[in-house]
Amino acid sequence: MTLFSLARRNIARNFSQYFLYIASMVFSIVIYFTFVTLKYSDIVSKMTETSQKMGSLMSGAAVVLIFFVAIFIAYSNSFFMKKRKKEVALYALLGVRKRQIGLMLFFENLLLGVFSLVIGIFLGFLSSKLFVTILIRLMGYDVVAPFTLSTEAIINTAIVFFIIFFITSFQGYRLIYQFKLIDLFHASKKGEAAPKPSWIVAILGLLSIGTGYWLALQNLLTSEAWRILGMFTPLVILATVIIGTFLLFHSVTGFVLSLFKRREKWLWKGLHLMTISQLLYRVRGNARTLTVIAILSATTVTAGGAVYSLYYNINDSVKLADPNTFMYKQAANVDNDKVTSLLPATIYDENVSALFVTFEAKQLESAMSIDEDKRIYTVIDETTYNKLAKLQHKEELQLIDNKATIIDVDYHENLSPKYAGKTITAEKGTEITLKGYHDVPVLNFKAGMTLVVTNEHYKELEKQGEPVQFRAIGVDDATIDLSKGIASSLPDEAQFSSAPEDYQSGIEGMGSLLFIGSFLGLVFLAATGSIIYFKVLTEAEEDKSQYNMLYKMGVSAKEMRKTVASQVCVVFAVPLIIGLAHSAVALTAFSNLFSMDFTKPVIIWMLAYTTIYGIYYVLTVYSYNRIITQNNKNEG
Amino acid sequence: MKSLLKIENVKKTYGKTSNAYTALENISFQIERGEFVGIMGPSGAGKSTLLNLLATIDTPSEGKIFMNDKSIHDMKEAALSDFRRDNLGFIFQDYNLLDSLTVKENILLPLAITKVPAKEIEKRVQKIAKVFGIEALLSQYSYQISGGQKQRTAAARAIVTEPALILADEPTGALDSKSATDLLESLSSLNANNESTIMMVTHDAFAASFCRRIIFIKDGKLSKEIYRRDQTRKVFFQEILDTLSAIGGEVDDVI
Repeated sequence: MTLFSLARRNIARNFSQYFLYIASMVFSIVIYFTFVTLKYSDIVSKMTETSQKMGSLMSGAAVVLIFFVAIFIAYSNSFFMKKRKKEVALYALLGVRKRQIGLMLFFENLLLGVFSLVIGIFLGFLSSKLFVTILIRLMGYDVVAPFTLSTEAIINTAIVFFIIFFITSFQGYRLIYQFKLIDLFHASKKGEAAPKPSWIVAILGLLSIGTGYWLALQNLLTSEAWRILGMFTPLVILATVIIGTFLLFHSVTGFVLSLFKRREKWLWKGLHLMTISQLLYRVRGNARTLTVIAILSATTVTAGGAVYSLYYNINDSVKLADPNTFMYKQAANVDNDKVTSLLPATIYDENVSALFVTFEAKQLESAMSIDEDKRIYTVIDETTYNKLAKLQHKEELQLIDNKATIIDVDYHENLSPKYAGKTITAEKGTEITLKGYHDVPVLNFKAGMTLVVTNEHYKELEKQGEPVQFRAIGVDDATIDLSKGIASSLPDEAQFSSAPEDYQSGIEGMGSLLFIGSFLGLVFLAATGSIIYFKVLTEAEEDKSQYNMLYKMGVSAKEMRKTVASQVCVVFAVPLIIGLAHSAVALTAFSNLFSMDFTKPVIIWMLAYTTIYGIYYVLTVYSYNRIITQNNKNEG
Repeated sequence: MKSLLKIENVKKTYGKTSNAYTALENISFQIERGEFVGIMGPSGAGKSTLLNLLATIDTPSEGKIFMNDKSIHDMKEAALSDFRRDNLGFIFQDYNLLDSLTVKENILLPLAITKVPAKEIEKRVQKIAKVFGIEALLSQYSYQISGGQKQRTAAARAIVTEPALILADEPTGALDSKSATDLLESLSSLNANNESTIMMVTHDAFAASFCRRIIFIKDGKLSKEIYRRDQTRKVFFQEILDTLSAIGGEVDDVI
């Protein structure tokens, strides 16, 4: 019997210990393999061929994934190694050479890696089918997902994970060299230094986070801070928030807990003493872990929330861009009858008269405008606007004081010109004064910037501009096929615009973004949950003898469950709350930038995140309790 | 014949210079082949530190430890591993058995490490199991057996390689008196019949009464040395108690 066969036997019998580690590796591989399979799949590669954006998005996401997966595996590896220190020390004491132990750990780790890789790729193959189906659904395609095993994906995954495993295995090899033998023996006994919270550090932490928040909420264009820091601002925000979060966990939590410790009336009741002391004892050593969790949560919620909000708003943006289901400009070679013959029952079908008028518009210069003095507006009169508004179930417009109004759906307080009171002049001298802007369009986006003028002004302008006729059609439940049919019977000059078509392309673009966003979100969430799970369960292993002592002292199982639940709750809830706060700020900044209202989708997204996160909490508390009860049963 | 173990002016301090704590100071003694030596002293006297130094898992701040005339702390890492493997056997207070291995596998682990042929391993394991009376337990896992049985397994593991020196750290610390007596009698007969050299750290006068010689340590320094010679164990036990109260060890601690 050789040492290696004993070591192998040790793996087989210690499977429960190895299981968590292998499971976390398999999990990482499944996620990564699924992602690369999608990347190399026909559907996605067709998409990436047509859209440069999509290609770079996929590659970017892959890099983020690799980075993440590497951190995650390194993390579970160090947990795993910590558990084995004593075994390693025993080998050393029995006279196995360091090099031999190192090699053993190295190969063992590599073997576990290869084993996980095989399982991971197999499971990943199954799950990629599921994900391709989801992706296709989200993008509104109607095809069955092809079930193919991509060799490229396998090679890619194998290479990436071999590198990761090689590095972690090398860490295992170094374990024996890094520590003195006596430290290895006492590794599990060593306590964490009691935290010494300091006011200064706590305040520094709060200040740092405050600075980050303040910078993020600054106006991009007018802020002095952004002007000075320039391109580095996002980095500065990131750094201040991360450092602040760390200091927060490092000191502020210590403070709060010591405050609890002073309230003896409350503290000396039941197991409160145990709960607070345990948390206090662990909190400093956990500052780094808690920071990682908070930042991961923030990233996940922010990225997912932003993408989901955009997706959620597609319908609204299409409604703004295409208030009419179909619209086109009359031209010489347009066959109106043919279009009519294609149409199903319509809600309305109107011919709209408008004018293309060139204006002198020096007054409308703004931060974003290029020096353009002449602008062409599509002019319609008040009557036309109100007729269409009525058909589209929108409020009618009342022009007063002979002033006109401009339709600007993308109005942005800082980027758009200030319209109110400004005067623009047509080429032949008609002056139009603007009342302001209005964000309810009646013509499709392709008609151009619309100016609504009084009927009198319209008559005056008729001689100064080029008259055009638009045909605006409203249809319920228009399909993409109908839209394609009409489009093919119209010449290019008709500038056909269609709500279903724009909706489709919006969904295609955003759908894949949403998919990548939620996929990465899922990965981060699962990993965040797993990190806490790992951490808490390692602590449970360390603390089980304490609970056994409590059990012997006559503490009821119910009370122990309560203290465990509240300890774990703090570990879960505190980083979640801070992560949500970070992402709320980030998403506010984001929605300011896009001037869209994200409240509802962001709340939905946060609730979804919190729910899954909550499931992890329940699972962790359950496992913790199981470890304790199992131990109490064994120890009697 | 030269001494098996020679300890010369060993000093061990912990911590930084500003608030250093001296665990051992000016320790010198020798152990001959075939001796059964007990190291006694109250808690915190430095017994375990001394054992850790001998076990080569810790290094002295000053002084040297020679075994077979070799300074063990001047050896290179690889040589040190070989030295431990070939010369030392350990019995710990908390057994340090691997839960995932059976009793038999735990015992043969050091033989597997030394690459002894399987046939020879089988023979030696059976022999040592008989000495400690654990033949019936060989196929059980270490978490299935009692504390006394675990400690006998650990002792069997320490002795199976027939090391030049067996180091035992409070081996009876966690055992009831019956199990403790069984273990001590096994060690005692090993010492008598096989001429194994044993060094045992203990604060228990009863356990110490099985030794042939006892070295007392107090506050990190050698304090006294007594020999059993041909006294009966009971008489020697009384002498140990007397010595302990004479040097001011906590009598509470020894009963």
